[in-house]
Amino acid sequence: MKREAGGNVEAAGVPRTEWRRRAARGVTATSLACLLATPLFSAMGTRLAAQDLTDARELVRSGKYREGIAALSRIPRGDTTWLAAQRDLARTLALVGRYDQAEATARAAAAGPAGGAAMWNTLGEVLRERGKLAAAESAFVRAVLAHAPDSLTARLNLAILHHDAGERARAAREFDRFIDVYNANAGSLTSREFMAVAIACRYLGVDNPQLFKDALKAFDRAIALDGDDLDPRIALGELFLEKYSSNEAQPAFTGVLAANPSHPRALVGEARRLIFDAQPGADSLLARALEVNPDYVDGRVLRARGLMDLEDYVAAQREVDRALAVNPAARGALALAAALRFLGGDPRGYDAAKQRALALDAHNGEFFATMAEVAGRIRLYAAAADFAKQGVAADAKSWRSHALLGMNLLRLGRIAEGKQSLETAFAGDPYDLWTKNTLDLLDTFKNYDVISTAKFQLMIEKSESALLSVYLTDLLERAHALFSAKYAYTPPPPVRIEVYRSQADFSVRTVGLPEVGALGVSFGTTLAFDSPAAKDAGPFNWGSVVWHELAHTFTLGLTENRVPRWLSEGLSVHEEHLARPGWGAHVTVGFLDALGAGRLAPVSRMNDGFMRPAYPEQVQHSYYEASLFCDWVAKEWGEKALVAMLNEYKAGRTTEQAFQAVLGADPKALDKRFDTWLKQRFAGPLAALAVLAGDTAGLSREGLPAELLVSRANAAPRSFRLQMMAGEAAAGRGDTATAIALFERARSLFPEYAGADGPHGRLAHLYLARGERRKAADALTEIAVRNESDFGANVELSRLREQLGDTAKAAEALERALYINPFDIALHQHLADLYRATGEKAKVVRERRAVVALAPVDIAEAHYRLALAWHEAGDPKQARASVLRALEDAPNFVPAQELLLTIVEGRRP
Amino acid sequence: MRRASLAALVLLAALPLRALPLGAQTHVLIVSGLGGETRYSARFRALSLRLSGALHERFGIPDADIVWLGEDSARAAPRYAGQSTKANVERAVEGVAARAKAGAQIVFVLIGHGAGEGADSRLSIPGPDLTAADFERLLARFTAQRLAFVNLTSASGDMLGQLSGADRVVITATKTALERNESHFGEFFVDALAKDVADTDKDGRVSLFEAFRYAAAETKRHYETEGHLQSEHAQLDDDGDKQGTGEPTGRGGDGMLARRFFLDVGRYTARAALGDPRLAALYADRFALEDQLDALRRRKAQLTAEAYDDELERLLVALARKSREIRALEGRT
Repeated sequence: MKREAGGNVEAAGVPRTEWRRRAARGVTATSLACLLATPLFSAMGTRLAAQDLTDARELVRSGKYREGIAALSRIPRGDTTWLAAQRDLARTLALVGRYDQAEATARAAAAGPAGGAAMWNTLGEVLRERGKLAAAESAFVRAVLAHAPDSLTARLNLAILHHDAGERARAAREFDRFIDVYNANAGSLTSREFMAVAIACRYLGVDNPQLFKDALKAFDRAIALDGDDLDPRIALGELFLEKYSSNEAQPAFTGVLAANPSHPRALVGEARRLIFDAQPGADSLLARALEVNPDYVDGRVLRARGLMDLEDYVAAQREVDRALAVNPAARGALALAAALRFLGGDPRGYDAAKQRALALDAHNGEFFATMAEVAGRIRLYAAAADFAKQGVAADAKSWRSHALLGMNLLRLGRIAEGKQSLETAFAGDPYDLWTKNTLDLLDTFKNYDVISTAKFQLMIEKSESALLSVYLTDLLERAHALFSAKYAYTPPPPVRIEVYRSQADFSVRTVGLPEVGALGVSFGTTLAFDSPAAKDAGPFNWGSVVWHELAHTFTLGLTENRVPRWLSEGLSVHEEHLARPGWGAHVTVGFLDALGAGRLAPVSRMNDGFMRPAYPEQVQHSYYEASLFCDWVAKEWGEKALVAMLNEYKAGRTTEQAFQAVLGADPKALDKRFDTWLKQRFAGPLAALAVLAGDTAGLSREGLPAELLVSRANAAPRSFRLQMMAGEAAAGRGDTATAIALFERARSLFPEYAGADGPHGRLAHLYLARGERRKAADALTEIAVRNESDFGANVELSRLREQLGDTAKAAEALERALYINPFDIALHQHLADLYRATGEKAKVVRERRAVVALAPVDIAEAHYRLALAWHEAGDPKQARASVLRALEDAPNFVPAQELLLTIVEGRRP
Repeated sequence: MRRASLAALVLLAALPLRALPLGAQTHVLIVSGLGGETRYSARFRALSLRLSGALHERFGIPDADIVWLGEDSARAAPRYAGQSTKANVERAVEGVAARAKAGAQIVFVLIGHGAGEGADSRLSIPGPDLTAADFERLLARFTAQRLAFVNLTSASGDMLGQLSGADRVVITATKTALERNESHFGEFFVDALAKDVADTDKDGRVSLFEAFRYAAAETKRHYETEGHLQSEHAQLDDDGDKQGTGEPTGRGGDGMLARRFFLDVGRYTARAALGDPRLAALYADRFALEDQLDALRRRKAQLTAEAYDDELERLLVALARKSREIRALEGRT
């Protein structure tokens, strides 16, 4: 099924400015014309005074708030521009967080003889920012009744207040009148009035998504009429971002920031845009916004969300408290306050916070959507789905709640229900790319086989299900048995396993967008990962990915999803290490450089390394670092300590409490001890990498002759980098003996390094060139047991071991290789032969099944070989089935005929 | 196509060899075109050489019945007959037509770069190109022989519709004239004939059907391995409907004729046909069992898996025992 997304709200070719033409209702064109005809100021002041106001406004517009406020304050009460100046002053004071002064200024101006009508709307807006909603409403009503020059904006503000108070139908009627206003008066509306129309359309868009395009048109008109007013530009950026069009939002925000680099709302808007696009820099923009206005509620809320993602709930609470101190009715802050209570395992606190939010707006679906999003971020998918369901119940037009319900149901493996929710969400918000992508992906599920066992439900694309299921079922069963025993926990069956042949499909399943840089994901009892055919991600070990993700199922399940991400990831890699030699992350030069430079996150803040990496490689380094922490705990306190820690989390304890209870130390002390252990663990290679580290970079750039490099390497035999560099140079000029000596020295300095540019691969190549097959095989073994994704090394190693007469080790190497690339028919055929030689009959059967699954041209031969394997494994029933398949295709295939006769004759008593 | 029945087999000696061309003479004309670049010239030359060698050495076709025309005006290679100009090709066809007996098999193999569309589909050769219309005219010379036209060039797809006809196997390396990229199908097709890789029904012989299926599958695998989108999709037509298929089953529609189109004589069946009555009877039994197998396969969808396998086993066991008897009589173990 094809789905047309709403697309970009400014999509080319879409008549986004087609206004609904209807008879004017409510506010009549006549009455509006009267409103608009009212002059802003009863009399124009002197040219000099007007210039003072213009200058002051320019100071404010450019972000020189202090000077702007001073200039506005200097305009004397008797001046003709005084009232306008007071209005600007109140707004500016609010913009920089001086809310009390803003309110006082607005009140004083409104109460004065020269004030009145023109100030009520501004006063209402200031009061609204403080959460004084009743007073704000009163001010807006007074502005409307007094036919204030900005009464249309006051009408909008009233509608927004009604909307936010849960009076949706009333608010909708009020917003709807703005369309009539536009249709009747478009030629005479001011910039601010166009902005009011635009915002009304934005609210109406929840019922009719096409109205978002009308909102755009109105914003465009507002900007065209007053290019100096930054507010419509910011609101335009926010609309683009709300409709998932970050590439359109970016120029809107950056345009404003070019004019005023200190505009808190634009800074927060651009910070949101950066977060949306997963780009760095949001923190610094947010910091700038809060520097200008430390009490900017939206800024505090955004910072709280970031801290919650880092699972730093204490700091997040501080941000939320500060936001609510400014505005006790702030919807976003109230939702986060509730979320923090929920995350802290405080159901009563959550209920109280929820009541507080819903008391303001009983139909606040967004409250529950926020809760669902927060719960989903920490992998509480069942809770997330439940919250989203409440969001739908509270507001059936909360499309975000519908979408979150759908996504989380999918994560729980409830595909049909999830799809239904997503369809509803997409109908209401056709701009939502996440939902569209996911629905498109769900349409492809018909191309998958579903294979069910007692514990698992495997969903694999038809073209490779026969092959992958041979290995997956076995691997999963073994992992399940091992983890169940170790963690004393059994996940509720079935665990759903989805295998995607396309990296883009896997990515959409994971985050809704086709760009995620991961190989697998665990939603608890639903796992999704790349098939080994998804080569976009490069060669990888799909067996270890399966093992890793299933380990998450147990650690998440045991702790009821309370384990912090860093520990869950660390345990999964730790389990990979325990499963098979070579699986999981291993030490690299980059990791040790980061360790040496103090760039790794300490254990107590390791979530930062995953959620807010300080450098591009930090996420990868954090996986390995977290696994090392688990290795260390297992070594010092035993594997049971890791399980005990998980049980602490299950009981609702914090990391600090878990550390104290199980490891007997607080996080700071553990940071120190772990750092010491790490440095001892890698003392040798750390030292070898530090020697002449800076010099080697320079030498590399200089392109020195090989002789000189060799000479320098010999003079600094403790420098790993220099040995490698000189070894390369010597090998390049054909001096094999020298190259081998240098690479051997490098190997002795950093034997654990098995990367493609490491000494083991170079040595294997050189040994082989000299015919030293055993040494070459030993070097390749070092790679094979430390680098889980080097297919070539394993295949070559197998060849060498076989030549050296070690069939078992030859088979071991090919066994490793097939978890990197299982699609090589020749590999399976050869591995079957090797296992036949070693007498491992079950594995011969497995490999022969794999060959059949790969559908070779000579399928009759493949079936025959499988039949023979079954026969030799003592399973005549399976042997018969396979030999019949062979002869079905090739009835005169003599060996198969003979096998059939043997089987049939063996049946006779 | 059903196998010849026992009655038909008994009458075989009295029938024209077209019904079951045991011992039929095979004439092959290989036309290798211009390379355009050294590497392509070398590749086409090597492929032609390998093919002509396999035809002679593995299929027993006499040198005299293999004519290879190529890009070079003169070349010291077995079976090389000169440059592949239009005039030379037409002359060679006349020669084959003069020599070929009724019931003989005529095989055209084109190697090189293809171009053009529809009736103007062409093979690039020295001088004026040979078009589909030219080949249609040349093939029409063979009215009493069975024909196979194998076009291994790029952009060859449109020739299938032009040359499709009764009692004729047409194979093209591509589905349409628009598939113009370098073709790999030809390499695998020649592999199928030159190596022990394509005898998938294990009868000791490689039919055009088997060669096609092998080459098509390996071509697909080649693109998958390289991580490229497949830019050639070989087609086979042998039911004369001018519509090719990329995945013939040989059990209905396209593939039925190609499945029985062998380039060699067939050692043992030939002997059976040459007058050993005991063997002829055994072969007749075997063919009857094979007919029953074909019938069973056609009924597969109507049977339960268990019932199908039970009946399959019964027939296969009978066939295996018959096969034992035949091998014993023929002195094979």
